[in-house]
Amino acid sequence: MSILADRKTRVLVQGITGIQASFHVKRSIDNGTNVVAGTSPQRQSEHLGVPIFESVADAVKNMPIDASVLFVPARAVKQAVREAVEAKIGLVVSIAQGVPVHDMLEIKAMLKGSETMMIGPNTPGVITPQEARLGIFPENIHHKGCIGIISRASTLTYEGVLETNAAGLGQSTVVGIGDDMIVGTDFRELMVQFMADDETKALVLIGKADNVYEQLAAETYAKMPNKKPIIAFVAGETLPFGANMGYAIDILSHGFSSIQDKKKILSDSGMIVVDKMSQIHQALADLGLK
Amino acid sequence: MNIHEYQAKQILAQYGIEVPAGGIAYTPAEAKRVAQKVSARGPWMLKAQIQAGARHSGYFAGNSVNPKGGIRQVTQIRNLAYEAAQMLNNTLITEQTDAKGRLVSKVYVEAFKQVKRFFYVGMVIDSSIPAITLLISEVIDQDILKVGFTQQDKILRLPIEYDKPIANAQIKAILDFLSLDKSYDDYLRDFLNKLRVTFINLDAQMIEINPVGILRNKKFIALDAKMNFDDNAMFRHPDILRMQDEYEEDPRYLKAQRYGFYYSELDGNIGCIVNGDGLALETIDVIRSQGYKAACALNVKGGVDKDRIAAGIKIIMTNPRVEGVLINILGGFLRCNLVAEGIIAATREVGLNVPMVVRLEGTNKEEAKTILHETKLPIIFAENTNEATEKLIKEMEVND
Repeated sequence: MSILADRKTRVLVQGITGIQASFHVKRSIDNGTNVVAGTSPQRQSEHLGVPIFESVADAVKNMPIDASVLFVPARAVKQAVREAVEAKIGLVVSIAQGVPVHDMLEIKAMLKGSETMMIGPNTPGVITPQEARLGIFPENIHHKGCIGIISRASTLTYEGVLETNAAGLGQSTVVGIGDDMIVGTDFRELMVQFMADDETKALVLIGKADNVYEQLAAETYAKMPNKKPIIAFVAGETLPFGANMGYAIDILSHGFSSIQDKKKILSDSGMIVVDKMSQIHQALADLGLK
Repeated sequence: MNIHEYQAKQILAQYGIEVPAGGIAYTPAEAKRVAQKVSARGPWMLKAQIQAGARHSGYFAGNSVNPKGGIRQVTQIRNLAYEAAQMLNNTLITEQTDAKGRLVSKVYVEAFKQVKRFFYVGMVIDSSIPAITLLISEVIDQDILKVGFTQQDKILRLPIEYDKPIANAQIKAILDFLSLDKSYDDYLRDFLNKLRVTFINLDAQMIEINPVGILRNKKFIALDAKMNFDDNAMFRHPDILRMQDEYEEDPRYLKAQRYGFYYSELDGNIGCIVNGDGLALETIDVIRSQGYKAACALNVKGGVDKDRIAAGIKIIMTNPRVEGVLINILGGFLRCNLVAEGIIAATREVGLNVPMVVRLEGTNKEEAKTILHETKLPIIFAENTNEATEKLIKEMEVND
């Protein structure tokens, strides 16, 4: 078991013919991902051995699709998500960075009440090692195992993966929820799915100092009846200059919370909070899962 | 991206929101001429145009005879040029600037408006809902931020619908909160909806009117204006992009922005090149935990072009405060070999005069290491962030 995607997940790639898409989708296919179709404005019938359709609607008419990976540029993400939502695709993973915030407000409105769950934008994606790679993960560092990872910091996700490897445990599924101010799915829903997944024995949660997603995760975790352990890390003890503006916004809209407050909230909810990424493997080892 | 107060007021006026008559001036003589144009008689408001708040309580560094206040009320026209001269070409330091302050190259001259009352209006995006959220308070000026820290109940927060006018119940809640009677309903509604349309049409991330004034005729007037826009949406707004004041931005930041990267400065001496915000924060934290500080961090995000990566690396290597370079890359989208090639191209051009430690992980890692080994550059390799930082610090201390 795993969450979101496994080897049976039938994957569509929107924007499959781009240079970056081609590079990464080929790696995904080589890695065992069940890529069944692609869409592209270019008139061609096949790419990387899978059929190409002009639109998502066309693709779903021809074959069943469970998930779609978006390799379209940031400014095209809103329209691409709309297509996927209208085609009732269950999971959309959006890789591009730089999606306008207002587009995300509209996208969140589209997703509400729809059958689609969105991961991202600005994410390495979702990977279930050796089964499904929906995104751009460096697959060579992943090993099948029992730790679920949910990360809000794209590249730190890989750091988290390396830590689970160092603990000799590997990963069940790894999800980058996205680095942006507003993401399709925050920690909460994924925590619920991981708690229900047999293969996952513990979670690693990687947060950032910039908004309140971590606080929301803590609230949910505190209330969960059946908890698996969560090792949590929050980046951003030292904020660079220039982070001030967003800070003012958060202070005004939620009241001030320092990174220490944030760690305390996570810790109070029952998570095991570490100060450094490099302490994660020890914390995992201390759980005695092996 | 931020713009100046005078530009924000021009935008508000275009959207039908009332602002005081005003004009921009670059010299004391021009300030006087503008004053006479906007109002036949005083008082006037003189406002230093820098993109930082708390100007009122700020002060000018250097030789100003009268250094107090980046916002001044001038009653007599004969004093206007003198007061403007105290501001122009002087450096204004406020609670929101750093210790260096900002050079004032232009002042905004406005007709003074008599108002009955003041209040604060902010419009921001609350990511937890997510929704555009109205913030209302009777506390104005820089005290609003203090209230945000300590007295949350003094700010009214109302998430608004993206595509609908502000709801009746919300208008009523605001009237009650500000103790305004029903006769203000239409004026408030008109003001806030125009603000909402401005926010949505221009991809704003924040608009602050601090303060709004209520005139005798019950209309609302924006006495100050601050706007911040979503950089990622500026492709839709070339007219706003043209308003960017390059003198307000750090030149290294601007250069990085041109290559699609994000650059930030700190006050230490280690230059960091990373890919990803979280990784930047983690790297800075690890450096600090080892007793050192970062000088700057360049986030090359998912850059895919070797020449742009080289240009980015040069931004860090030519920063005079940098005494050691830490490159920490976890490549997914970004391929390590491109970073390696970027490092080589950059060092070829500007040399490598400080210790450099490189940690590469992920896509095409081995290929990258091979390329770097072959160049015989004095690059030190590390396997993780801790080790990279330790090795760099050790090398920097040897160099001392």
